Amino acid sequence: MNKVTRRAFVAGIGAASMAPAASALSEEPAPAAPPSSHTSLGAQNAAPVVYLFFNASEAAFIEAACERLIPADENGAGALAAGVPNYLDKQLAGAWGAGERLYRSGPWAAGSASQGYQLPFTPAELFHQALRAINHDLDSRGTPFSEMTAEAQDAYLKSLEGGSADLNGVPSGVFFGLLLQMTVEGFFSDPVYGGNRDMVAWRMIGFPGAYADYYDSIDRHGVKFEREPMSLGEDSERHIHPDPNIPAHL
Amino acid sequence: MVQRLKEVDVVVIGVGMVGSIVAKELAAAGYKVVGLERGEARFTVPQFQSPAIHDELRFDIRKALMQDNTREAVTFRNHSSETALPIRRWESFLPGTGLGGSMVHWNGQTYRFQANDFELATRTRERYGRHFLDPDVTIQDWGVTYDDLEPHYDRFEYLLGTSGKAGNIKGQVVPGGDPFESPRSREYPTPPQKEHYSGAMFRKAASGLGYHPFPQPSSNLSQPYTNPEGIKLNACVFCGFCERYACEHFAKSVPQTIILPVLLANPNFELRTGCQVQRINLDSTRKKATGVTYIDAVGREFEQPASLVITSSFALNNVRMLLLSRIGTPYDPTTAKGVVGRNYAYQTMSSVASFFGEDVFINPFMASGASGTLINDFAGDNFDHSGLGFIGGSFIGAVNTNGRPIQYHPVPPGTPSWGKGWKDAVVKHYNHTVMFSLHGSSVSTRQNYLDLDPTYKDAWGQPLLRMTFDFPQNDLEMAAYVTAKAVEIGKAMGAKQVAGSPRKGPYTTTQYQTTHNTGGTVMGSDPGTSVVNRYLQSWDVPNVFVIGASAYPQNASWNPTNTLGALTYWAIDAIKNKYLKNPGRLVSA
Amino acid sequence: MRLRRTDTGLTLALAALITVATHGIAHAKAAAPASAKVCQGCHGVHGEGNAPAAIPRLAGQSAEYLRKQLEDYASGDRANPIMKNFAKPLTHADMEALAAYFSTASAPRTAIPSTASAADLDFGQELARQGSEVKRVQACDSCHGPDGVGVLHAAPYLAGQSAEYLTSALTSFQQRTRKNDPGKLMTSVAGQLDASDIAAAAAYFSSLPSNAP
Repeated sequence: MNKVTRRAFVAGIGAASMAPAASALSEEPAPAAPPSSHTSLGAQNAAPVVYLFFNASEAAFIEAACERLIPADENGAGALAAGVPNYLDKQLAGAWGAGERLYRSGPWAAGSASQGYQLPFTPAELFHQALRAINHDLDSRGTPFSEMTAEAQDAYLKSLEGGSADLNGVPSGVFFGLLLQMTVEGFFSDPVYGGNRDMVAWRMIGFPGAYADYYDSIDRHGVKFEREPMSLGEDSERHIHPDPNIPAHL
Repeated sequence: MVQRLKEVDVVVIGVGMVGSIVAKELAAAGYKVVGLERGEARFTVPQFQSPAIHDELRFDIRKALMQDNTREAVTFRNHSSETALPIRRWESFLPGTGLGGSMVHWNGQTYRFQANDFELATRTRERYGRHFLDPDVTIQDWGVTYDDLEPHYDRFEYLLGTSGKAGNIKGQVVPGGDPFESPRSREYPTPPQKEHYSGAMFRKAASGLGYHPFPQPSSNLSQPYTNPEGIKLNACVFCGFCERYACEHFAKSVPQTIILPVLLANPNFELRTGCQVQRINLDSTRKKATGVTYIDAVGREFEQPASLVITSSFALNNVRMLLLSRIGTPYDPTTAKGVVGRNYAYQTMSSVASFFGEDVFINPFMASGASGTLINDFAGDNFDHSGLGFIGGSFIGAVNTNGRPIQYHPVPPGTPSWGKGWKDAVVKHYNHTVMFSLHGSSVSTRQNYLDLDPTYKDAWGQPLLRMTFDFPQNDLEMAAYVTAKAVEIGKAMGAKQVAGSPRKGPYTTTQYQTTHNTGGTVMGSDPGTSVVNRYLQSWDVPNVFVIGASAYPQNASWNPTNTLGALTYWAIDAIKNKYLKNPGRLVSA
Repeated sequence: MRLRRTDTGLTLALAALITVATHGIAHAKAAAPASAKVCQGCHGVHGEGNAPAAIPRLAGQSAEYLRKQLEDYASGDRANPIMKNFAKPLTHADMEALAAYFSTASAPRTAIPSTASAADLDFGQELARQGSEVKRVQACDSCHGPDGVGVLHAAPYLAGQSAEYLTSALTSFQQRTRKNDPGKLMTSVAGQLDASDIAAAAAYFSSLPSNAP
């Protein structure tokens, strides 16, 4: 974590502030957060994603697909508003997408289900290969995925999920499984990774987040725990500073 | 170009739980000890601090604290008839690395095995007859008894400060504890942790059914504690980031919080990190180790001569070390000859989910790794297996360790795996579900074993370990039986819906179960069926000791760590008081 | 600014107006109960405290924490003869009302120049954000929140608190004269610190802005 030096010698009036962002204090300002990564609570639904990995047509598919996997509804935001496509983009663009934590030596064989993932593709390669095949297929059908009805989108996703169609070497079920796994990660991971914007997913289920001292609370059996969720990257004014090392490395 | 270093008394391979204890004892006894650890040094401050450590993506999903599988993996197949392929991403088991080893990120569940477990073959025959077991099941006696190990269990638990309630002190059953446990000499060092709501519900229902619930023994401490090494630990605050994470509060018993400060302060000990041991070197007789060869972090090769070599790395890595060093005869399942790699076993895990109404708040995120409530009524041989057709059992407990949402969002069977239906179910059930853990024993068989892979290599060019394993029918039947019992407890808790998930075959590496891999360098009294003797000394090379859960002839119903701790103190006792005073075979072959 | 005991709704509405209009001036969301008069005498109308006198700031503090301290003062679980005198006559309802009042109050911080050295403040920040391996203490922030802003149901805010008060609190934990910390969590931590560590941590947290609810 970056060491941010903040020494606030309060001079004069005005310690208390009702609004999170404004401050009447005369204090040394914190060093500027990295550009485009400084997000305040509640302000982000409109912020566009700067894609590093997906091209435009890939991003269009991913945005629409993720939103079907976790749709917006009365429970709360869906994948799109939560920034899940942004999460996927930054993971695939970085070290994990390039094959971190993946034993990559050959020879390769399909193997049994018990033997798990055996393709030579890194996650980045897998997505590029599969999306190219998907977009080619959709182009030939005439309607881009993002313009299909929700029912048609779901049907298409189910066909990927259950099928073994070869997407440039990636079985469609493998692609779908990875897409779903990463969508869930992007929804529920700490907002520092670019998803779970404003901790909407945590708020939806009541997960309190990264500050976690429950020594007293554990005694209150059956009492609903009520506290705003807290990100590991938030400062004392509840601004979240996404990890400047996004995508996160180990 | 290999550089030969100055000889030392002892080389310890792997400075995790076992290596830390062994090195501390021998350095304190005046011996010059070098500890070779392939991973990095890390400490509570700064590496384990929160909130940074409370990062589910990084530590749970990406497995940041685990062995770097890009450089060293394991290959796997269910049966010898298949070709083993690399486990390209860790899922089923998660080997650790680094100073302190896997103990840094364990859950703290701290059980003893029972007396019956150490003489499983003899007692099973006595109780159920010679023909009760499938002939392929190769369970064995350990060569030590529970009574041999009891003082060492006690010593280990007091080193950790384990929080619990004794159930049997010197033969006297004590209310509030586990009445099935084998006698212990005294109470736990600290009292049990606070009970979770799910545990309270479980306790009431289990008692009502006539079972004997007790608090899970936890090495996430219930109160501040100073251990016999003079090192202080704090109370655990139930943060719910236990297994796969390191503890920021000095409250989890890990080498950094129980022994490393003493070890690292002793000038007789030298820690070298980033050092990948390639093999134990033997002299021309191949009956004496001369030291080890290792490669450091910048790729330089060294030979470290030593009078005594102790391999104290993770169970799987101990087995691999012997195979790479050509110590002992590798096991061949077709002939059933050889011993190294034989009797590999695991853990047979099942679960039960009990779903409650939205007015019942479970708060799963408040938990330690071991703040559960359990019963041992269906564990081990605590129930009569006559007519059941299997041996072994599971502890059953409301073992709520976390509510981390990427992995934990229980939904009832039949819920779609995505879409609105999934989302609705997640919201409806996240804070209203109790999960039971059914932690089952694992018998060894002729067919399950470890050896070196013929094809795949690690980054240093050495063959990977090959694992051949599937669940024996015995264990699957055990799982079905105990799951049915556990479902009844869920119903007795008043849940609206109870779903049992008994372990089914085939074993898959794609789903997390436990990192309780045991066997491969089994201990015993017969060199024909064991790799080390009762003191964990190699039968073949007397100045090599192999200390790890690789010594277990089969795995019992409980987490293996406490038993390994006891074996470590037992072995160190023999090394200090017998071996080093008179080097040679401690047991005649 | 003293709010008279008028109709509560009107009082609250006035308070809200005042907040919007004069940003940074003290106010409270809840009405001050009658029992608050006694507290206000030392702690200030809105709980701004009196830092040099080691009288803690109460404004915006966790209601749960404030209530527990009052209960502990009354019972003697937290030993302080002066506070015991004030707390003992209070009913549970009184304590609830006082905690509600002060926890929703916000008050200006009167500036007190810190006499701590740069090195002390740096070390205080290190203890806050990282802890100390050599002293075997974890980061204060792990329970007290980012920059000691407080975490609901877990730990009170430290940011902007009187350095004298923080020093006295940590010292009383260290000396084991204050024993009302659940799990001995603070006793364990303070027991590892010496007087200069305590001074550094206190100075650092005191130097941070306190946040209103």
